[in-house]
Amino acid sequence: MSLTCQHITKAYGGREVLRDISLTLEPGRIYGLIGRNGAGKTTLLSILTAQNPATGGTVSLDGQPVWENRKSLEKLCFSRELTANAESGLAAMKVKEYLRIASIYYPGWDKEMEKRLVELFQLNTKKKLAKLSKGMLSMVTIIVAMCSKAPYTILDEPVAGLDVVAREQFYKLLLEEYTETGRTFVVSTHIIEEASDILEEVIVLHEGRLLLMEETQSLLERVRHVSGKAEEVDAATAGLELHHTETVGRSKGVTVFLQPGQSVDETRDVSVQPVSLQRAFVALCGEEERHEA
Amino acid sequence: MKRSLRFWTRYTWESLEVVLGAMAILAVLSLLGADREQTADFAAQLPYLLCASAIFGMMMLNTGSQTLYVPLLLSMGETRWNVLLGFHYYRVLVIAVTMGLCALIWVLFPGELSGLGLRSFPTILCVLVAVSSLGSILGTLFVRWRWLGTVIIVLLCGGAGGLIGITSAASLNGGFSAAAVVKLAGYLVKTPWWLVLIALGTLAADVLFQWVLLRRREVKL
Repeated sequence: MSLTCQHITKAYGGREVLRDISLTLEPGRIYGLIGRNGAGKTTLLSILTAQNPATGGTVSLDGQPVWENRKSLEKLCFSRELTANAESGLAAMKVKEYLRIASIYYPGWDKEMEKRLVELFQLNTKKKLAKLSKGMLSMVTIIVAMCSKAPYTILDEPVAGLDVVAREQFYKLLLEEYTETGRTFVVSTHIIEEASDILEEVIVLHEGRLLLMEETQSLLERVRHVSGKAEEVDAATAGLELHHTETVGRSKGVTVFLQPGQSVDETRDVSVQPVSLQRAFVALCGEEERHEA
Repeated sequence: MKRSLRFWTRYTWESLEVVLGAMAILAVLSLLGADREQTADFAAQLPYLLCASAIFGMMMLNTGSQTLYVPLLLSMGETRWNVLLGFHYYRVLVIAVTMGLCALIWVLFPGELSGLGLRSFPTILCVLVAVSSLGSILGTLFVRWRWLGTVIIVLLCGGAGGLIGITSAASLNGGFSAAAVVKLAGYLVKTPWWLVLIALGTLAADVLFQWVLLRRREVKL
């Protein structure tokens, strides 16, 4: 069973927000979808779950189209980021009503888990969604995602607004659920550093394009930060894929993405350090070059 | 489809609570200033108030369900086709229960007025279908072009306020006399062909229009 999209494009008016995206989400993995604001993350996730029609391309689950296919849709859960502001129709809805509707529509809904998570997050289900803080709304989306028991569960910014304790609770919960059930999770997040330990594979979107899709561990093994005197760094990294160059006076720092068989010339007088996922992401999607006197 | 039926059936009962609540308010208002004779005929007049409440209730609730429940159900993995079917199932159920209650009241309280009421069923059905279709079209427009929302809400609130005002004024001036209601029922017994056409036309336009917009709609909560 795999969720596949091929050559997905999406345009609003004449503006393309997704450009020729093809990827396959294998079962039993935790994917992290990262990208800057406006990179097209939510649009891609909503197209994968048939909540937004693509301008071009196809999405299929087990070879069957997802669009208007109840059998495929039953296996997917896209727990969207909720915005229960005055303009939203959701504002007047109570938490318990929202969860009740979710329990009707997700065939594998786990009522016991719902009770447990409501208690864990100390959520008052009698409250209207409009009365909840951003963090509490995130808790509601997490409860829906977890209790749906959908084989493919997608969470859009699940930790937005959550305090550090609640974020830890979420990561623990996600790992427990993943270990117990082997469900596939796709987590879109901006808090990359925290999430990097649980993400098995990362998908990087940049300006509507799929920039990278790779196992987190293998990515981190091939990205290095090289620093030292500018001429030494240049010599040590000659012919390598360089990103995010920083120059301070005569010193230089550069993030290197190594291809198989490549290495930094460490015989040079340079410092070579591993980088975090966040730094690798910044190197890929951040400013191209920075100079400081 | 089972899930859809479960959800929309429950929503129907919630909607009927609103309709019955509105009917109760109108009933109290129409009883103001009513004399003993008018009060005696009151039961047979009640279905007309129920229909008026159902008309405004459906117009408002259709708009609400278009803006809230349709995107919510799509976001929870329902197909667009099932959402469309479920929504129309809900409308059929509201109309059926409204008409069923009207019939029950008229059967329980027989008389000239009740007899006319039962004979005016086709007209009442046409009006309910046309008005609920119109409400649904307005709801769909509201989802597509938000600025229309303000216009729709102002019109609906104006309509509801107007109805309450007319009911109050009429009841205080004896306008809800049995004779006046009999006169109204006399009109309703004849179902003009153009009313049937309007009902069918608005229903078809609603289904078509809703599907055209729903088919490629982007879910936004």
